[in-house]
Amino acid sequence: MSGYGVVLLVDDEPWFSEALAFTLESRGFECIIATDMSLAVAALRTHQASVVVTDIMMPAGSAFPKIDASESGFKFIEFVQKNWPGLPIVCLSVIGDQTKIDSLMDRGVRYLRKGETPLGTAVEIISAVATGRRIRL
Amino acid sequence: MSPNTEKACYASFVDSSEIRLSASPLEGTDVQALRREIAALRAELAETQKTTNQYLQNVAHQLTAPLNAIKWSIEAIKDPAVSIPRKMKLLSSIYSQGTILVHLIKNFSLMSNLETDNELGQFRNSPERVDPFRLAVNLANDFQPQAAEGGKKFDVDEPSFERILHGRKLLAVKNLVAQALSNLLENAVKYADLKTAIRVEAVNVHIVEGAKAQFGIAVRSVGLPIYGDEVKKLLNRGVRGTTAQQRIPAGTGIGLYIANRIMAIHQGTIYIQAKGKESSFTLVFPEARIK
Repeated sequence: MSGYGVVLLVDDEPWFSEALAFTLESRGFECIIATDMSLAVAALRTHQASVVVTDIMMPAGSAFPKIDASESGFKFIEFVQKNWPGLPIVCLSVIGDQTKIDSLMDRGVRYLRKGETPLGTAVEIISAVATGRRIRL
Repeated sequence: MSPNTEKACYASFVDSSEIRLSASPLEGTDVQALRREIAALRAELAETQKTTNQYLQNVAHQLTAPLNAIKWSIEAIKDPAVSIPRKMKLLSSIYSQGTILVHLIKNFSLMSNLETDNELGQFRNSPERVDPFRLAVNLANDFQPQAAEGGKKFDVDEPSFERILHGRKLLAVKNLVAQALSNLLENAVKYADLKTAIRVEAVNVHIVEGAKAQFGIAVRSVGLPIYGDEVKKLLNRGVRGTTAQQRIPAGTGIGLYIANRIMAIHQGTIYIQAKGKESSFTLVFPEARIK
């Protein structure tokens, strides 16, 4: 068990999760990587996560066959907020629609734009969210 | 639009389409038909523009995602707290992302050339004698790091090439055939199940029953099922299988299309067989190209 908590990284592009996980783990976090919504939900059922970091466009996986890949991240966030209320969520993705970003932020989700957020910044924010630390960036 | 303008427009339609209805009681009906046709064409154009925009967004994502991943990997490598073995793993990931990018950009640059070459029915570069086994091994090696990340491995069956070719070579444009085969290998890496083998072998193909067998390079894998009616469409530009889209949402759907265009200019084809989770994609060459 890590000293700082468990970070669940949900992304079907493992290269992003890999760089993020290695950096977070070097700072004392334990990281679990899930490549679809079904695997992420299964991980949440077996681990006590401190924070969830999720992409939006990803496979829903075998447990959610009716959810389209283009919106599975939104469905996953809804599912997490319903079943694990209070669990902090960071959305790491590229969303073109500002109303969708606003909607996520209204629901307490922190949004980081993939590709434009430096790794160091993402790590700082995720660390702060996981540990309940206030951060000003 | 003023009545006069509308009349002028109608007159131009009459001139161009040789419809002579100026004094006919059917005039109003035909104008309505033309208006409906214009509306339908506008709707079709809007739909095409929407599809094009979505496609361009998809292409942009395909190009930027590996670059962004590379940026993050470099940042992680620069972090002194990340261990050396993990830095090595990140370097391997950068190599894989580089392979993906180079491959993708080659496909895009080939697209326009191939259209012209197919129309002209001629090659831009002269065909040369290519060793299909050596080509398959080199390309499989190129994709091996990417495959290894999912516990997958390539198995290039040398005896099958010896048995079928008896030392003969393939007369083809090497970089084009390499791109066609790369597209098949990349798909296999993406869609094969974890910890499975991707088999590359030489085969004799009987596309038409009773016809003479043709030489083929087959890429066989176990992974996503391809449904019967999808097989015919997979060679079309921009088409991806349903299960492929579910597993990997982002994709351009041009890999097989380009491979097929490459095979067409070699007077060959792509032969697809799918049964359950097993699938094989074969580049089929005419006998005249085996020398």
